[in-house]
Amino acid sequence: MKIDHKKLITRVPGTGDFIKIDNEKCTSCDRCLIICVMNLWKKRDGTIYIVDDYASQCLECGACYQVCESNAIEFRFPAGGTGIVYEQG
Amino acid sequence: MNEYDIVIVGAGPGGSTAAKEAAEKGLKTIFFERGRKPGEKNSSGCGLGPRMWRDFDVMKEIGPEVCPSIREGRAARNYFVNEEGEVTGYIMTTPTASVTYEPAKSWITLNCYRSDFDPWLSQYAVDAGAELKTSTLVTGLIREDGKVVGVIDEKGEKYRGFVIGADGAVSMVAQQAGLRKRWKQEEVTIVPQYDFECSPSKIDDIMGDEALAVWWSAVFPAAYQVFFNGGFHIGLGNWMTWWDKNPMYYLNRVISLKYFKRLVRILDAKPREFQAHLLPWQGKPYNTHTDNVILVGDAGGFPCPLEAEGIYPAMITARAAIETAADALSEGDTSKEFLMLYDKKWKATSVGEEFTAGPELASIWRALPFSPHKTMSWFIPMFMEIIGGIIDWSEPHAVRIRQIARRLKTYLPQAVPFIMKEVIPLLTTVLGEDKMELLTDPEKLLTEMPEIQEALTKAFMDAPEEE
Ligand SMILES: Cc1cc2nc3c(=O)[nH]c(=O)nc-3n(C[C@H](O)[C@H](O)[C@H](O)COP(=O)(O)OP(=O)(O)OC[C@H]3O[C@@H](n4cnc5c(N)ncnc54)[C@H](O)[C@@H]3O)c2cc1C
Ligand code: SF4
Ligand code: SF4
Repeated sequence: MKIDHKKLITRVPGTGDFIKIDNEKCTSCDRCLIICVMNLWKKRDGTIYIVDDYASQCLECGACYQVCESNAIEFRFPAGGTGIVYEQG
Repeated sequence: MNEYDIVIVGAGPGGSTAAKEAAEKGLKTIFFERGRKPGEKNSSGCGLGPRMWRDFDVMKEIGPEVCPSIREGRAARNYFVNEEGEVTGYIMTTPTASVTYEPAKSWITLNCYRSDFDPWLSQYAVDAGAELKTSTLVTGLIREDGKVVGVIDEKGEKYRGFVIGADGAVSMVAQQAGLRKRWKQEEVTIVPQYDFECSPSKIDDIMGDEALAVWWSAVFPAAYQVFFNGGFHIGLGNWMTWWDKNPMYYLNRVISLKYFKRLVRILDAKPREFQAHLLPWQGKPYNTHTDNVILVGDAGGFPCPLEAEGIYPAMITARAAIETAADALSEGDTSKEFLMLYDKKWKATSVGEEFTAGPELASIWRALPFSPHKTMSWFIPMFMEIIGGIIDWSEPHAVRIRQIARRLKTYLPQAVPFIMKEVIPLLTTVLGEDKMELLTDPEKLLTEMPEIQEALTKAFMDAPEEE
């Protein structure tokens, strides 16, 4: 069975920016790339970045923040009343 | 500045229980939820454990009228999946004769979606007089003379009072109170899961009284399946230290099992929602409080160290936190020293008892179902050899027993160290040193492993060679 899990999420827009990377601190350990179930972290020419429209896909799980031991990822929850909605959580 | 006695961040099971019990004590209480309503940010199994009914009167009022997704089930199924991804067997269990109270005698878990449960529970807090502010993100703690005196929300509004951090696994309160920047990687798991939609009557007809299933496996970390009225979850998790590939690789292996696909087909189930959440899972809660701040539930790392049941622990620690805060406020002393009372209180509860063997329980779980390649790859065929080997007509039974015994012998080099490293320390903690005097030194036993192995083989297994 193949499921496109990215289609199975609901988000309320208006989150604003809530995740940032500090490339000065990033050691390119790739842990954020492995852990993000939505595949929102990418690497280009050795530089790690989060995709531009992450705010319309992110599940706010905080796993990327949790695995980054270099403190390169800044994460906070989006504005109240916006972002991911689980109807059958 | 708005003045309160108790300011609670989060309206999950921990926050709502804290708010209800604080309001009932006559304390002026406010609790905050970043979602538009409680529950819409949370994903769980979500099985409610029977201890909740023993300790919280409100549970007697839950039912399908107030939580339509409720489904109770008497049975838990354990599937065993081998390295080839085949279901080699399963065992179904129901509450056993040693279970002492209702409703634990009648069902294993009562399942309902968090989008039903959390708003339902929060209403009791509101009815008791607590103020609930939804769609409101609490962004920081405010300090005076270096001490936390309250919180600030995203609009800059300030609230003074005793702070309860009930804000879950990624806890702003823990971070800003200086209690934890993030979890150690071996203290927290990531758990992605699918929700499938399915007609309630099909679930009843096909699954019977099955409440949940665990898929023990050699190809993915143990997956769980939980049945609701009108749907089910299938998910899995593991500690941050474990993942060599994206968690979706492993979750998709579950839904690609032939057996699972057949189940989906006969249930006529459709994938409906995808969720992922962190779940703290560790042996010993620590740094649970500081001056004027207490952490409860996931924020404090309280899910059960063996199976990570977390709703009941969140409610119990919330109760202990409010009792402590009430004492602290009436004594006029909310210092970290005074709040040690909190640790004393939760340790005296059923949750505290769970943690007396916490490190051993967490360790055995890590080493067994969460080590599919390393452990389950031999454990599953060994286990199935024992369970399945007897019911087999391929040879006279005496021959079969010898065949099985010989086969089991080949697993000893893996099984014996596992028992020494994981099972013995757990039994020692649970049963006490005196009962375990023979087996109290796993290190020593390990060095004597070859002799032990030989002795075991001699005693139980040595059978004449069969061609
Ligand atoms: C996939 C999965 C399956 C699970 N299965 C089970 C199960 O079957 N049975 C069981 O008992 N437990 C289960 N658990 C564990 C259980 O979900 C948690 O232990 C439980 O939810 C903890 O309750 P809590 O109140 O401490 O935190 P949470 O339920 O996480 O509640 C925290 C609340 O605070 C809000 N919040 C967070 N930060 C802020 C902020 N800054 N401002 C405002 N609001 C904020 C959140 O939106 C959330 O509503 C499971 C967990 C997962 C991830
Ligand atoms: S986890 Fe942190 S350090 Fe590692 S690649 Fe990602 S951002 Fe860089
Ligand atoms: S919070 Fe979770 S979903 Fe969002 S980018 Fe980080 S890991 Fe990915």
